[in-house]
Amino acid sequence: MNPLAPASLAAMNRRHFLRGLGACIALPTFGSLWPRGALAAPAGAPLAVTASGAPLRTAFVIFPNGAIPSRWWPEGAGDAFTLNATLAPIEPLRGKVQVLGGLDHANARGGADGAGDHARGNGVFLTGVRINKSATDVRAGTSIDQIIAKEVGHLTRFPSLELTCDVNRQSSGCDSGYSCAYQYNISWKSATTPMSPENNPRLVFERLFGAGAPGERAANAQARLAARRSVLDFVREDATRLQRRLGRQDQDKLDQYLTGIRDVESRIQKAEQFGPPADPDRPTPTGIPTNHGEYIDLMYDMMLLAFKTDSTRVATFVLGHDGDNRSFGQIGIAEGHHDLSHHQNNEERVDKVAQIDRWYVERFAAFLRRLDATEDIDGQSLLHNSRIVYGSGNADGNRHSHDNLPILLAGAGGGALTTGRFVQHGGKPLSNLFLNLADQAGVKGLERFGDSTGRLAHV
Amino acid sequence: MVVRPHVVLPLALALLPAFAPAADPAFETFQREIQPVLEKYCFDCHGAGVDKGGVKLDAFQSGADLHDATFWLRALKNVRAGLMPPADEERLPPAEAAKLQAWIKQGAFGLDPAKPDPGRVTVRRLNRVEYRNTVRDLTGVDYDTQKEFPADDTGQGFDTIADVLTISPLLLEKYLDAAQSIVAQYVPLHARVVAEHLIPGRAFATAQPAAPAPTSPRRGGGGSGDGDSLDLSYYTPAIATAKHTAPHAGKYQLVLELRALERYVEDQFDQNKARLTFRVDGEHVFAQEFMREGSRKLEFTFDREWTAGEHTLQIEVTPLTPDRPQIRNLRFRLAGLTVRGPLAPEHWVSAKDYTRVFPRAVPADSAGQRAYRRELLETFAARAFRRPPEPETLDGLVRLAETVSAQTKNTFETGIAQALAAVLASPTFLFREERTEPLRAGQTHPLLDESTLATRLSYFFWSTMPDEELTRLARAGQLRAKLPAQLKRLLADGRSREFVRNFTGQWLQARDIVNVPITALDVYLRDHPSPDYEDARATFRRLGGRSGRANRSEADNLALTKARSVFAEFNRQPKPELTGELRRAMLEETELTFGYLLKEDRSVLELLESDYTFLNEDLAKHYGIPGVTGRNLRKVTLPPDSPRGGVLTQGTILAVTSNPTRTSPVKRGVFVLDTLLGTPAPPPPPNIPSLEDAAPAEQLRKMNLRETLALHAREPLCASCHNRMDPLGLALENFNAMGAWRDADLGQPISPAGKLITGETFRDIRELKHLLATARRSDFYYALSEKLLTYALGRGLDCYDVPEVDRLVAGLEASGGRLGGLLQDIVNSVPFQQRRQLPAIASATPPAKVPTTE
Repeated sequence: MNPLAPASLAAMNRRHFLRGLGACIALPTFGSLWPRGALAAPAGAPLAVTASGAPLRTAFVIFPNGAIPSRWWPEGAGDAFTLNATLAPIEPLRGKVQVLGGLDHANARGGADGAGDHARGNGVFLTGVRINKSATDVRAGTSIDQIIAKEVGHLTRFPSLELTCDVNRQSSGCDSGYSCAYQYNISWKSATTPMSPENNPRLVFERLFGAGAPGERAANAQARLAARRSVLDFVREDATRLQRRLGRQDQDKLDQYLTGIRDVESRIQKAEQFGPPADPDRPTPTGIPTNHGEYIDLMYDMMLLAFKTDSTRVATFVLGHDGDNRSFGQIGIAEGHHDLSHHQNNEERVDKVAQIDRWYVERFAAFLRRLDATEDIDGQSLLHNSRIVYGSGNADGNRHSHDNLPILLAGAGGGALTTGRFVQHGGKPLSNLFLNLADQAGVKGLERFGDSTGRLAHV
Repeated sequence: MVVRPHVVLPLALALLPAFAPAADPAFETFQREIQPVLEKYCFDCHGAGVDKGGVKLDAFQSGADLHDATFWLRALKNVRAGLMPPADEERLPPAEAAKLQAWIKQGAFGLDPAKPDPGRVTVRRLNRVEYRNTVRDLTGVDYDTQKEFPADDTGQGFDTIADVLTISPLLLEKYLDAAQSIVAQYVPLHARVVAEHLIPGRAFATAQPAAPAPTSPRRGGGGSGDGDSLDLSYYTPAIATAKHTAPHAGKYQLVLELRALERYVEDQFDQNKARLTFRVDGEHVFAQEFMREGSRKLEFTFDREWTAGEHTLQIEVTPLTPDRPQIRNLRFRLAGLTVRGPLAPEHWVSAKDYTRVFPRAVPADSAGQRAYRRELLETFAARAFRRPPEPETLDGLVRLAETVSAQTKNTFETGIAQALAAVLASPTFLFREERTEPLRAGQTHPLLDESTLATRLSYFFWSTMPDEELTRLARAGQLRAKLPAQLKRLLADGRSREFVRNFTGQWLQARDIVNVPITALDVYLRDHPSPDYEDARATFRRLGGRSGRANRSEADNLALTKARSVFAEFNRQPKPELTGELRRAMLEETELTFGYLLKEDRSVLELLESDYTFLNEDLAKHYGIPGVTGRNLRKVTLPPDSPRGGVLTQGTILAVTSNPTRTSPVKRGVFVLDTLLGTPAPPPPPNIPSLEDAAPAEQLRKMNLRETLALHAREPLCASCHNRMDPLGLALENFNAMGAWRDADLGQPISPAGKLITGETFRDIRELKHLLATARRSDFYYALSEKLLTYALGRGLDCYDVPEVDRLVAGLEASGGRLGGLLQDIVNSVPFQQRRQLPAIASATPPAKVPTTE
């Protein structure tokens, strides 16, 4: 059991790397955060890298229960548009965001499956497939973030990061005969393996950077990897033996186990390749904040830190599962969100739902502002070098519609995207957008995704 | 195993289609025996071009068309529950109904009563609860999986369903880290260690300091705390003193452990500061100022050179900001002070719990070590794997321990620790592998082997690994023979509380009470409407907030002032709150109710209707029941006219089926249909006309809930289901969203009377409960049997389980609903005792060695 960081890598520092790039760029303010060795491997390769050589990040953020359409959609078109009440908080960043209209998820519609629009809203959001209506036989599809992560995940310590602010799951059955797996997960490694999201910011932070006080974390993270490694051979052999003893229907479970083992192994290899993780000079979060706004902000911060330190380039974040019935005392709304969303056009209820929609957008806008204020390795902002999809799996929560979903695309993808516009795509699958995003990330040979019919024309 | 003789079916039918399709005898039987019944009682709505609810019963062309199990299962349940034909049509005579049901089971499902099918089970991993309990039993370490692991996905309402218990890469990583962290606590790495003595916070004597203390509304000096800790307020000066006698002179280490706590108050902060000073024998060794620390754990370590004899330890809190508002009850929680030492090796003592893991001293010679190592690992692995480890597996563990021990700085103990971590991270521990006995003559499917049976029993009733007695009986092959006595023992054991908690928590959603969002104020306002308050609220909504400030007129300012005084007056009145303590009492009420039936082997019908419940003072007050005092819940016989008794009128269920501000008769109706009667209304059809299309907005606003719901009844598409749900929910309208009694909603009197879809009428909740426990008893028996069987097996039920569930219900009917009898029948049932015979992948001989995947 050798120590994990070979000396040769420790010797390679960021300046060497920058010189290697031959670029004359200002040192990022958070220079110390940049992990040694990052970007060394993919130099020149188009995988998840922007034109200027910085990492290209992709994130998907889902909010619950749709949005009041009349307050969400801007007036006007193209770059001449006026934001409406719900999206007003992004006004200062309007030049860095696109509002996308006319994108649908046909597979989230009821059809022969009938009720269960919340389960489908979540389950279809990043998979684009028709999810199997069953409480036990769970089958969705590989989600777009995982398709991108599979291609580019080897470049970073973590192939992808899954976050959620759902803390308390409801007991009993979920939506109309669908397993709860659909309702709480948006990221799927395979059709049968959801990527369980983490809800505790402390655990997210420690997983990314190691436990303990600043300065001790790198060593703790290394120790944790070393401890994991010590048992890997045994448990892999044990899994193989068990796999031989079990029946055919059990193989999928053992495959999940072995996939996890391979992930840990590759993480250990990467630790050797990249050296110790960066140590953000901030205290470890103590846990889940009681105030829901602070909680969401802190989770966004975790995503920001992960991107800033190039710990991963792919992330998903569930702000709340579709059907969430949380109440919003902090903005004077006592009723449950889901209950309100069936507003029956009662003006007061519509207003309240719109306020909740806006409250979520405010949190998102604050996150974008922080991304925008954070300088990336190429001197651009983190926001410039990201593509962040913000949306919901339901369009109009009152009617459970899945056409013309509320979707924002923030960030310029390193300049590949034309931001500052309101674009009507006129009834195209949301899956089409995902193909564009996958292309830009360097995913090869992805001809179709979910119900896609092609690429979007103007992104 | 005792299996009751199969119920003889009233119909001797030619069952499965023979291999001569030309004749199609199955279809002929259907045409001869069943079609006339359908024609007479069903075709009006489901034949001759009519297909109500999308159901057509006259379109079968051949025997092959008759095997849609999902379709027929629905038909079976509807006929069984008397839902079809509907109450206002001609009913099926019992003999005809029995004939139809028997045909569905044998003809449509193709079940052979002589060869019951135990069903398909997937290998199941431990869920979070089971993992925690198992680790605790195995090592004594309490690992908080609720916090450390991602939530388990659920299906059929339970977290025991193998198919949906997946392992994501994140979870696998958590398993590896958990194993290390558990082993670090479990395995002492050295036989002798520095002596440690903990002085708990409680052992410190508190006093006011000599200096004059500012007056404070709070308790002076400290004193409260949690368990063994001591709370010291930021707002009050205090000195806490303890003494410790050092046995020897030498170097010592003192570790002070505390947390800075606060009570969360939305949007209000507390700017108070306090200084903490620590003195040893009067000498000042530490002082620091603190403000809010977000409940952070604080730990300070001090090195001291001590003489033998008594030493004085003193902690002083000095408030620094006496004038600032005291909002968040800022305080230090002193966990305690640990004295470590003397540090010199000659004073070291035997490590605590060393012998728990290492019963003997480590032999000096390598042969002795090898034998000892193998022995230790074999014992632990056999418990963790719930059966003796395969020789290959044990070899692997021994090799791992040897390799680790051989590394520099490592010891024998370090090697064992790593091997134990490997056991805890291995799939054989995490998954419950099931094995069977050899197939014997006359069996269609083999029995589970006894180790597997022991494991199923202990996870069903205890949510943890088998204990020593179960294991011993299984190893000796005597468990099946002694099953009735063992079942009694399992249920009588305190660990069966886990079954009560996990089953009722999920089946009845009782555990959701802890977090269900309820806004007490708005619930109160529905019961006690206050136009003044609503006006004041509207005023604030219109004029409040920073944006409006500039444009306010004189009149606006007056209105705001008035609104403020309305608020102030309103806030002064005491109003009921759904506090954490009340929520916990409600949860306990539900658990105690079920636990009581279990302990006393009483009828499950008491879950629907009973003259008692479990209360403490708070909950009794909340329910309006006099004469209960104290914090502990106990069985209370209800006043004769009380609407309480039975789970339906417990706070848990009433609150979790409500919206944050109001009751939801629809959710409550769905709960009764789905959870208690097992006859869920079909999900809403696509393209539901929305309520606002049924009446103008102005009119809608004025309607109360019952009137709004009555709109449904006008729309035939809605009526068929809402007529089933709404009366059940409306019968509970006398209970608000917090489960308290009320006579009116928004000033309108509540009328709980209604009619079940099956025709029975009731005047109030008491009559409804009685109907459920009598006329609908069989539905409830079916629902509970299916839920329990699902929970026990860890899989959803299928059509082949129907005969088994029939037997469980027959047992309940015969015993008058005894819970103990039902559990016994489940444990003896075919799916619990047997496994489907698998194609020969499983083999008793160890698999041939294959090269490793690397």
